[in-house]
Amino acid sequence: MTDATDDPFATYKEYGRERGYDLRWLERRDVWGHQLESDDRKGGLQLQNVDSGVAAQVPDESRNMTGRTRGSIPRTGVARVGNYSVRTKADIWLQNGAELYEEAVARQWSSATDIPWHTIKPLPDDIERAECQLATFITEVEFVAGDVPGKWISKVTPDYYEPRMYLISQVMDEARHLDVFRKRALANGGGLMQRNGGVQSVVGGNIDSARDFTEMSARLHISGEGSVLTLFRMGELMSYNDAEKHIYRLCAQDESRHVAFGVMHLKYLGAIETDRREEIQSYLDEAERALVTGASGQNPAARGLPSNAALGVLLGGGDDKVDEGMKTLLAVRQRQVKEYVQRVRVAGFGERFENGRANPMLEAYLSVN
Amino acid sequence: MTQERSDPPPPPAQPPVDLSWKANTIQWGTRAVVHKDGGLTLGALNTGAYGEIPDVWEDRTRMPRGAYSPPGRVGSPIGGYYLRHKSDLWADNAADLYEEGISRRWSSAESIPWESCRDLAPDVEMAICQVSTELSQQASIEVEIISGWLQMMAYGYHEVKLFLATENFDAGRHFEVFRKRAMVNGGGLGLESPGNVNRILLESFAGWSETSLLMHILRGTYTRTVYRYLSAYAPSPVEMLIGRRTAQDKSRHIAYAMQHAKYAINHVPGSDRNFSGGLAAAEAVVARDDDDSVMREAMACAFGGGVRQMDEGMKIVARLRRDYVRDYLKCLDWIGINRRPTLSPGFAAALDVKD
Repeated sequence: MTDATDDPFATYKEYGRERGYDLRWLERRDVWGHQLESDDRKGGLQLQNVDSGVAAQVPDESRNMTGRTRGSIPRTGVARVGNYSVRTKADIWLQNGAELYEEAVARQWSSATDIPWHTIKPLPDDIERAECQLATFITEVEFVAGDVPGKWISKVTPDYYEPRMYLISQVMDEARHLDVFRKRALANGGGLMQRNGGVQSVVGGNIDSARDFTEMSARLHISGEGSVLTLFRMGELMSYNDAEKHIYRLCAQDESRHVAFGVMHLKYLGAIETDRREEIQSYLDEAERALVTGASGQNPAARGLPSNAALGVLLGGGDDKVDEGMKTLLAVRQRQVKEYVQRVRVAGFGERFENGRANPMLEAYLSVN
Repeated sequence: MTQERSDPPPPPAQPPVDLSWKANTIQWGTRAVVHKDGGLTLGALNTGAYGEIPDVWEDRTRMPRGAYSPPGRVGSPIGGYYLRHKSDLWADNAADLYEEGISRRWSSAESIPWESCRDLAPDVEMAICQVSTELSQQASIEVEIISGWLQMMAYGYHEVKLFLATENFDAGRHFEVFRKRAMVNGGGLGLESPGNVNRILLESFAGWSETSLLMHILRGTYTRTVYRYLSAYAPSPVEMLIGRRTAQDKSRHIAYAMQHAKYAINHVPGSDRNFSGGLAAAEAVVARDDDDSVMREAMACAFGGGVRQMDEGMKIVARLRRDYVRDYLKCLDWIGINRRPTLSPGFAAALDVKD
């Protein structure tokens, strides 16, 4: 390519226009001459390394109402089809959205072929029923994190494509989770068990009803998915074969990205829009109420749910050992709380645990021996 | 944690363990078949009661199909999930396409040999960048459409929801692979799309069937044709591979839409006439985007080999449009919609192009 100061297209334009071509697309851009390197040792051409010049300018407020991709050249006369309700960077942004997306792409797996289904052998009836009840719960709740982020994707301006791309990957992950737990329930002589069923929609205050992205993310990523992540990470305790261990390990890997998104978004927002910190603290108040009461309906370990009892059976090793299992489950719940606390600290809202704002029941869980 | 509080309250007492759920299943003893090569597929789960896919799914929660629901109303609807008739969204191939979408996954970061598209002629480079910009925006619009509709789809037809999650992921990948292509050599992003077709897709609200027909059959066959021509006339291995991979993905999307539209026509009397009428209106809009010189010229330059070869390139573009219309009509023939008698003038004229 020629020196960046020349018009490298002058002769082409002259030739083309003499022949009646318009060629308005043939103009030098601000990134002319700037080649990108693709290094296989560093994961190839990663999305976070692509943008420069105008394409890299992420506006604090987006005025993109035509759905054009960030950095493309606007045209006059294009209809304003972008009814995007999320048009403020702070409402959706995080530092590493593109990185999380690329990690998700690299770590995709297949529930059909990457789980060693042949390692599932017949289990005692009480264990199989417990596995199936737990799987039924998880297959039911996982795709809330598909539907709801999906709804928000369509509301986010493409100027913030990095978090959008991450959310697209989350929808894919959750589809796979719905799928893999349904498969587990139907793979070993069992079946689907009792559905969950909540009344949160009557009064709102849940993931589906959130009218603000950060509100939704606090409920979904920080609270709901955080609890599930803890459980998945302890999957060895509930697993009776390699297939189940693989399921929990791969799902935990996915879930950790989801939680990371929520933490990093909260961290960004809390630092940039300090006048929203009190509002975010109120979302965390709600999240903690849900965490200690199980009201969110997202936590399989929440008391009173069939999945809670199923976990007790699995952790104890059978119906006759469910009381032992419930003691281990309490330890799981404690860990859910501890990891929630750590997450909130990393997000930059840890002061609530020092100034008395946090739900006192959290401390109850943490102080039990 | 605090210095001023009294001893924390004890954690809530664990209620007595209730194991009554153990008997709550509509079908026990299920063992889905794990195949030697394909593993345990989504379709293989549709055995016995779990394979009974109702014509209407009344539930408006996330209850899994086949889960036991205690007598009486359990929980409250959570909003959305208005597409509760099988004919609103079903396709027999959805489960298979879901698994295929996963098994054929690829990464734009690592699957494309980016270093092999260097040093193209400047005019060809810019043409490829303009084509890439248009295709990236089309994919971005597709993401918005699918994401918006996904939450409307009832869980009785989870196969479709899961397939569309893979399509959404594919569309995201198309968005970013074309962005990468536009940026990799310093050409940069070009002009935004004229947006007439994007608009009708985004504004389509008659139903998912209608939106799917427009997005997948009317627009999707065009996009696939462009992908195929990009691969066939690629100036470098990068465009060749991008074109091939994206066309493969797009074929799955179109396959779903064809099966669904056919199902809808076979189960909802008169829907073929409605679909045909909607397509007639939409074809006129495609003509407005077609009138825009930007994409046409860029493709002519890219596929012809430069500005000086654009006259020849325009003949390639004319063949592309012909092949698009042929593919579009062929898909509709299979579905059971005959557009030929009232095909829009622009579409009809495209068919006259000779090889």
